[in-house]
Amino acid sequence: MAYATASELPLKLDRALPAISGGTPMSAYIPQDPALAIVFWIAVAVIAGSVLMLALVFLLRINLILKQRRERRFIGQWQPLLAECIYRTPEILPAIPTAMQYAFLKLWIYHLESMKGAAGRNLVQLANAAGVHEIVRDMIHHTDLRKQLIAVVALGYLGDKTRWHDLRMLVTDASPMLSLAAARALLEIDAAATLAWLITVIAAREDWPMAKVSAILKEIGPDRLTLPLIATAESAAASEDTVHQVPRLLRLMDLAHTERAAPAVHRILVRTSDAEVIAAALRLLQDPRDLPLLRAFTGHENWIVRINAVRALGRIGMPEDRKLLTDMLSDEHWWVRYHAARALIALPFTTIQELDMIRAILPDPYAADMLAEAIAEKRAS
Amino acid sequence: MISPEWIIAAQWFFLLYFIGLNSGYILLNLLSYQSLKRYVEEHSLDDLPRSLSGFEPPVSLLVPAYNEEATIASSVRSMLQMNYPDYEVIVINDGSKDGTMEALRREFALVPFPEAYWKRIETKPVRAIYRSTRHPSLRVIDKDNGGKADALNAGINASRYPLFCGVDADSILERDSLKRVVEPFLENPHTIASGGTVRIANGCVVDNGFLVSVGLPANFLALLQIVEYLRAFLFGRLGWSPLNAVLIISGAFGLFRKDSVVAVGGYRHDTVGEDMELVMRLHRWHRMRRIPYRIVFVPDPICWTEAPESLRVLKNQRVRWQRGLCESLTLNLGLLFHPRGGAPGWLAFPFMALFEWLGPLIEVVGYVFMISAFAMGIVSAEAFFIFMLVALGFGLILSVSALLLEELSFHIYPKPRQLAVLLAVVIIENFGYRQLNSLWRLWGLLLWMTRSKGKWGEMTRTAKWQTGTPAAPANRPPAP
Repeated sequence: MAYATASELPLKLDRALPAISGGTPMSAYIPQDPALAIVFWIAVAVIAGSVLMLALVFLLRINLILKQRRERRFIGQWQPLLAECIYRTPEILPAIPTAMQYAFLKLWIYHLESMKGAAGRNLVQLANAAGVHEIVRDMIHHTDLRKQLIAVVALGYLGDKTRWHDLRMLVTDASPMLSLAAARALLEIDAAATLAWLITVIAAREDWPMAKVSAILKEIGPDRLTLPLIATAESAAASEDTVHQVPRLLRLMDLAHTERAAPAVHRILVRTSDAEVIAAALRLLQDPRDLPLLRAFTGHENWIVRINAVRALGRIGMPEDRKLLTDMLSDEHWWVRYHAARALIALPFTTIQELDMIRAILPDPYAADMLAEAIAEKRAS
Repeated sequence: MISPEWIIAAQWFFLLYFIGLNSGYILLNLLSYQSLKRYVEEHSLDDLPRSLSGFEPPVSLLVPAYNEEATIASSVRSMLQMNYPDYEVIVINDGSKDGTMEALRREFALVPFPEAYWKRIETKPVRAIYRSTRHPSLRVIDKDNGGKADALNAGINASRYPLFCGVDADSILERDSLKRVVEPFLENPHTIASGGTVRIANGCVVDNGFLVSVGLPANFLALLQIVEYLRAFLFGRLGWSPLNAVLIISGAFGLFRKDSVVAVGGYRHDTVGEDMELVMRLHRWHRMRRIPYRIVFVPDPICWTEAPESLRVLKNQRVRWQRGLCESLTLNLGLLFHPRGGAPGWLAFPFMALFEWLGPLIEVVGYVFMISAFAMGIVSAEAFFIFMLVALGFGLILSVSALLLEELSFHIYPKPRQLAVLLAVVIIENFGYRQLNSLWRLWGLLLWMTRSKGKWGEMTRTAKWQTGTPAAPANRPPAP
């Protein structure tokens, strides 16, 4: 049906848009129907919002260009001075404007992380002379996470012990990024005083990514890391409340002197029935005296424990373990068979020809396939 | 004869639908802004020399290939040069009819290898497995043709590492793409999948499979898709991430925990949207069993892909995506409003169903209704004008906000001229392109409803931006 006049329209939209002419009041464009007027204003608001956002994008880009230009000039001024630190600390330093503090810290840290030895010390001297302490003191409590992070990293490199308490507080911060950066800074400042306490924090903070924790502890080196790690792991294993932390700590043992950890690992292994702890401990076994214990774990109900047991046999097993590992080639779990084949290859005094003979008489075709793959890999390597 | 009450109701329905749809996206936008701000702040020191890396878990890169003879060697070469501590590359030749297998054999000195192939997921028969004598971390699976999903499943079966990353053979990566997409797995042990932003490679310079410099395409259609991709990724997906309700991880580059994918049965063969369907099934499986999990979207641009430059190819792609979406949603209807559905079941799924699945139908019918009603004098010029104003306004604000998010974060297009072009595109795309897209998607919806496979066509890639590589056709477009 067609409507003859505007007054007949369903929404009673009887006021079509008035002709646009000079002097027409704004109210004439607004629909009289209240509901339609609301929609009209929504549309106007949305379009106005879009135009404002377009302008914002444009302004942001202008701001970015100007900022980059300022930063380029600033970096051009400071870069030669920072590079000079390879030989000596420059005597005359320009001021660091507030707007360039972040850019300076990033540039300074970049140089510090790229240089070693005396150059690093010169860079720290330069930072002291340039008043970096004062800059980071305020920045560490900034609401902008970027600034907080860079201030924490800078504090670590400055070796500033006066901010020790602040950094310790930040290690308990909810943000894993910030708390990890604070932990790293504390280790930079005084690893000996930090490490034992920090390892207990590492054990408890499951939100800290293990890959990042490992990267931080690797910087410390095995000499300093081994004893506190062993002590914390043993202490955690002794209590029901903290035993769940043990696998996490044992995984970090890869970064320590594992042979020194062997007695502690043995003690943990004989005391625990937790499959995750056992699997983590088996990864660290190095002592042939543990072989009887190790062999027993090849029959464990948990396949991850069995995998770690056969892998350990590959490391420290004896020729007499060949029979056991051959049997493991028929394990119900594919990954146990996979690792059993590789453990067989790794056993001492075992030749490819002997393995070929074993494969030829294996009744289980899956076991034979697995061993064939491992043999081919060995031949190809 | 239609009664006036019905016409009033229809007018208001379409109007409120448009407002609801776009308000939903604006809310997503706000969520994205928060996520993006935090992400940029947390990763502000990643470019320093002593970044905390080197202990990332090993990853299997799975590269399904079908008739990729011309480009497969350069693609694989680039994948072998990723900046990542420990990974393997598994190319799955899915019964190619051209010389893909020969090209691989020749280029990487492949030799047959006796592998104990573990068929955890059922696939078409595997003919042989090869290893490269030049690159120990490269293996090639030669199998009967079964489609991309089947090829990926074969790759999962052969993979040796706990995480796998499905990569399209024609995806252009950055050297640290893997490092960035693996981050969520380091941060939270419950992470089972993560994906990143896919950008358009047309107009960029690519050398040896890696992106060298970013540029805007000369082709107008590709240019329009840049803003579209910004919208789709920067808030269409990022907004859902903090709610753990990301429903799509692009098949062009997505990282998954292998055990989780095997537990749900791997990729399905019977859908063209196997990437989205898998993610939805992962949600459903974990939610129904109350297993804690996280599916994360990383806003970093980690993968670049070639966008169609002709209307025909673009139409085929969109029709195909719509069909994939329909299939993914209907195959996982159990998630919708399930008591354990959480944010994916109660927010993301209904949103997707209402605005993406049925959206094209309502949008196109809405436009047709308003235009024809106006032409017939049923709707006043005022009502028609307001409807169009709302549609335009919301379209505009969504595109501008995507550009704003980009400007606040990555500044991928550094030149002011590039930004000016994009600002113009943001406005222009509202006059025809978006409506055309809705029409194509409606066509996809109708084809799906009639269970007709239709003529999906081939995705012709020109690879003009790739230096030293000839143009080559490929038949599997990635879904953003």
